[in-house]
Amino acid sequence: MTKEERIKKLVVGAGAVFTLLFCLSPFFYMILTALSRHTDFLRPETHYVVTFSHIHTVLTSQSIHFPAHLRNSVVVSLASAGVAVFTASLAAYAVTRLAFPLKTFFMLFVLALSMFPEISLVGYLFTIMSGLGWINTLQTLVFPYVAWTLPLCLWILVSYFSQIPEDLDRAGLMDGCSRFGVLRKIIFPVAAPGVFSTGLLAFIVAFNEFLFALMLTTDHSARTVPVGIALFQGLHGETPWGEIMAAATVTTIPVVLVALIFQRRIMRGLTRGAVKA
Amino acid sequence: MPVKQNRSEGDRADAFGFMFPILFFMSALIMVPVLGTLADSLYRDVTYLPRKFIGLENYLALANDPAFWKSLRFTFLFVAVSVPIEVCLGLCMAMVVNEAFPFRGFVRATLLIPWAVPMAVSGRVFELIFNYSYGAANFLLHVFDLSREPVNWLGSEIGAFAALVVTDAWKTTPFAAIILLAGLSSIPGELYEQAKIDRASLVQRFFRLTLPMLKPVLIVAFLFRTIQALQIFDYIYVLTGGGPGGSTTSLSLFAYNHFASGDFGYGSAASVILFLIAMSLSTFYLAGGAVRRTL
Repeated sequence: MTKEERIKKLVVGAGAVFTLLFCLSPFFYMILTALSRHTDFLRPETHYVVTFSHIHTVLTSQSIHFPAHLRNSVVVSLASAGVAVFTASLAAYAVTRLAFPLKTFFMLFVLALSMFPEISLVGYLFTIMSGLGWINTLQTLVFPYVAWTLPLCLWILVSYFSQIPEDLDRAGLMDGCSRFGVLRKIIFPVAAPGVFSTGLLAFIVAFNEFLFALMLTTDHSARTVPVGIALFQGLHGETPWGEIMAAATVTTIPVVLVALIFQRRIMRGLTRGAVKA
Repeated sequence: MPVKQNRSEGDRADAFGFMFPILFFMSALIMVPVLGTLADSLYRDVTYLPRKFIGLENYLALANDPAFWKSLRFTFLFVAVSVPIEVCLGLCMAMVVNEAFPFRGFVRATLLIPWAVPMAVSGRVFELIFNYSYGAANFLLHVFDLSREPVNWLGSEIGAFAALVVTDAWKTTPFAAIILLAGLSSIPGELYEQAKIDRASLVQRFFRLTLPMLKPVLIVAFLFRTIQALQIFDYIYVLTGGGPGGSTTSLSLFAYNHFASGDFGYGSAASVILFLIAMSLSTFYLAGGAVRRTL
């Protein structure tokens, strides 16, 4: 091994350790705090005492409403991801299979939409949703989330669908399938992994959304986890860090597991879409 | 060719049916709100007061509002400091995980964690990390003897700014790395073999080969991150609330505060300004070759 190769190996090893620490240490700090009786456990005079009481409080307390927030988040994100993937699939089929005017313009326009600042929508969305009497309902979030995740879904699905040979479609059309039948019976099964990854990304993006949920919901009947945790305050001035970190842990662990299990799919989706953080 | 013409006419009718749902969602929930915000910005639209058309008065008021200029300055400063850090550090991480080493898959997977966790949630974790009396940041400074006194992170202007940059870097650096990794892995390995045969050093290979080949992806990452960072809201809302003394109020938070206090006309005007800034940058992004190529 040359000297240069040895240096490179050392740098790569150090870089890998740094990357791991960088990404994971706040995550471990969160778990340690959630399981510690004292939030100030880093002080030399404080002992670390393990307790599950914070997690228990968060999951059972009548006043924190964390389970309600979690349920709202899951329902809203599932519904938005489902509708967004279905809507985007229809459009992606048209974009990859049918000839229609302004197609390139449409794709670029959708990409531009994805870069609109949320703040430039949220004021008027509030007006619309108030007019419909939808403030503090779940659908007040589902509709904007569908629209908000569509650009990402469309770009990823177009990239998947365009890889499916059109001969497959033609065979289906010859057999008397309608266009929609081709999409449902041929494209969907072939592109199933891609469709699944797209849905996963849409779910995560919807689950993490903050500003719309902050503005359009008022209490636990529609409030989602990010807003619930952001507004989590103690009753008596002192911030209940143990409970906040317990709620954060309960929320984060499933997300992290999904990210680790579907790592390859998510990465492929993100780099194909590369549209939205 | 009559047959072909028939086909494309049928195509158009079918295409409309397939495109209808996406067009509905995008116009009703994105285009209408944006145009509504634009319209609102021309009105005096304050809760409990009659709505009244006032032309550009909201914009004139913004131009004379020191708080607006302060938030504009903070937003640009935040972008100028955080985006270069994130992209450069992201490039380093991407180059590391592009090499072969044991547990590489696991390290790559951890890059996804900061992206996958809601910002409101990680924001609270960093709020605790930067806690004055028992946060991990001051603990580390003390352990490594870097600071005699604990730093008042969230209570001082510089401390709050630094805390926000660090928190945002935690979230977006790994994301930048993922995007850049895709660019790196598309550089043909033979080029590196050839460079080694030509006895190009590690440093030469980076500056003469990696960097030029990666230029289009780097530009995309820069523009993309800039457009996102301009809109920063979640972390500021959670970590500093825009303080201390309004020193970390971003444009988004400035507009939100006016919405929240019921002044929709003024908040809309501020949102339109941010929209115009973001969109002028997006034009560069869309004009970039990287986007066209994928179509």
